[in-house]
Amino acid sequence: MKPESTSFVDILQNIDRRILYVVLALMTSIPLFFKVAIPVIPDDYSKSLYSALQNIPEDKTVFIQSDWTLSTRGENAGHLEAALRILMARKIKFAIFSVGDAQAPGVFRDVVRRINLERKNANLTEYKPWENYVDLGYFPNAEGTLQAIGGDVRKVFDKKRIRDTEGAERGVFESPVLAKINDIGNVGLYLVITASNTIDRAVERISAKTSLACMCTGVIGPSTLPWFQSGQLKGVAIGLKGVYDIEFLMKNGLNLDTPTSVRWPEKPDAKAEVVSEGTTLDRGAKYYLSFHFAIFLLIGAVITGNVCMFISRKSKGGNS
Amino acid sequence: MIPILAQVEYGPMAVRPGSTEMIIGMIVTFLIGIGIFIGLTKAPTRLRRPVVNGVTFLCGLFYILYWIWPKPVNAKPDDIPKGAVEGVGFWIKDTLPLFADIANIMTAFLLGLGIYSLGRIHLGRIAKRQADRQFSVVLVISMLSIIVIGYWDYIQRQQDTQSKLLDMQNWGPAQLAQNLLFDGFLQQMDSAMFSLIAFFILSAAYRAFRIRSVESTVMMASALLLMVSLLGLVVTYWNGGVAHLAQNMGVPKADASIGYSSYLHSLQISDMADWVKKNLQTPALRAVDFGIGLGALAMGLRLWLGLEKGGVTV
Repeated sequence: MKPESTSFVDILQNIDRRILYVVLALMTSIPLFFKVAIPVIPDDYSKSLYSALQNIPEDKTVFIQSDWTLSTRGENAGHLEAALRILMARKIKFAIFSVGDAQAPGVFRDVVRRINLERKNANLTEYKPWENYVDLGYFPNAEGTLQAIGGDVRKVFDKKRIRDTEGAERGVFESPVLAKINDIGNVGLYLVITASNTIDRAVERISAKTSLACMCTGVIGPSTLPWFQSGQLKGVAIGLKGVYDIEFLMKNGLNLDTPTSVRWPEKPDAKAEVVSEGTTLDRGAKYYLSFHFAIFLLIGAVITGNVCMFISRKSKGGNS
Repeated sequence: MIPILAQVEYGPMAVRPGSTEMIIGMIVTFLIGIGIFIGLTKAPTRLRRPVVNGVTFLCGLFYILYWIWPKPVNAKPDDIPKGAVEGVGFWIKDTLPLFADIANIMTAFLLGLGIYSLGRIHLGRIAKRQADRQFSVVLVISMLSIIVIGYWDYIQRQQDTQSKLLDMQNWGPAQLAQNLLFDGFLQQMDSAMFSLIAFFILSAAYRAFRIRSVESTVMMASALLLMVSLLGLVVTYWNGGVAHLAQNMGVPKADASIGYSSYLHSLQISDMADWVKKNLQTPALRAVDFGIGLGALAMGLRLWLGLEKGGVTV
């Protein structure tokens, strides 16, 4: 007769996977109803990115290459929202486009509209197309387009025509957003928000010519770290932790003389102010608690699975 | 040097976007392209091979030249090259965006190819009344709806000179229908499909992630460390506990500026995870990238020089 613990172990080992699915669904969805400011120690690459975003000269335009769709909304939507909130609070103009996915422009237009609506509801200035930002659309061939952007950015986009504030169709380089851009080196920051390896193409083709930074999914994240270590990326926000790192820095600032400010002892000169207007903690704060539960569950599952295996082997007289 | 391709000021490569000349040019080019495509399809392999290899070689040669040929630095649009070497450098620089346009157009054609392929398979299945044809019907109806409504919305947005449609309050049936199909259905289903991975990961972690060897033990230990390092709540309190313990034991604070770090302070989760990332993960990724780079270079050379025979004969 088997000891009682072994039978419990057997039950655990043969647990119906649907029970696991239900537990996961409950543990990740219930915390979504709570927005909690969890303490965090931001990664160095997140601090570097935040510092880069907060230190862009105000007269410079930022290029945002948004290569993601809603399949990675949990991570990339928070990235783009945080970046837009920082830029809009600092009144920095931006150009946005995609080289990664045909659906991406539809998705980033929704995010821009959502952040604009949020600003309108908070009585803050809305960003207007032509005056404050330009939407350059989608370019299907990442390799060729980025190579050409590195070579002559004006020739890549000069055929693009958009409406000005009067409704007249004009070339994008006539807009206040791109008027001063003659070379990719003129942009304040080239920010790639991606769920794929388009960041590799950007690093290969334009990192030597401009300041490049990245916000990417957790899957892509590790492959960007060599670029960060070599200085080819000014900063990186990886996955949901990266979203929350940036939101936390937006709320608390970096290396400031305030008690809540995040410290970076290795780089005391990398000061970055808090975001002065609008929302700071949002999607990252909403999802981070849920993320904690998911990781706890995952670690618990790995440990339980292995402990059960050891006990089961021992009780059957096998080598553990 | 004679201006060619992107350098000509007037001609087929320099027409105004949206003009009648451009539309006529597009139609003529499209017809010529279709003609070449059909011609190549019908041509015997002996004839097709040199054409495909020749075009591949010329395209590759352009990018090789872009890489090795001296290029003008900070050239202004009205600068004139001196001599043949500078002339070629200017030409390469000017023509690069044109090559990017061609590459973009060719990539976009893949979309058309995809639609053709889907239509051929699924309309054929419906016409032949094969099994599971109801799924093909759903696919064709979905595709047609999103194309029709997408264009309906696109045309209205093009005519919206005052950018009124940026505000949801001014949306009409086209925008609402497009929003329902794109954001309400397509994107949500995309998210749902992707989120299913979480369930499989959990199931796999529970059933398959087992310590059976030294290697798997090392992998699991580093995986658990990196997973825990993502949890702000755990890291903050653990690191705080380690710092508190060090203070009680009289161990001085770690000081990165002078390269000092006590063993006790190194037990902070963020420090351990950083060490793993900087000293194990990143070098390993560099090695993998280097290998992939060498492989891509070898493959690229074979394709460029026409040594890969498979693609042309099939």
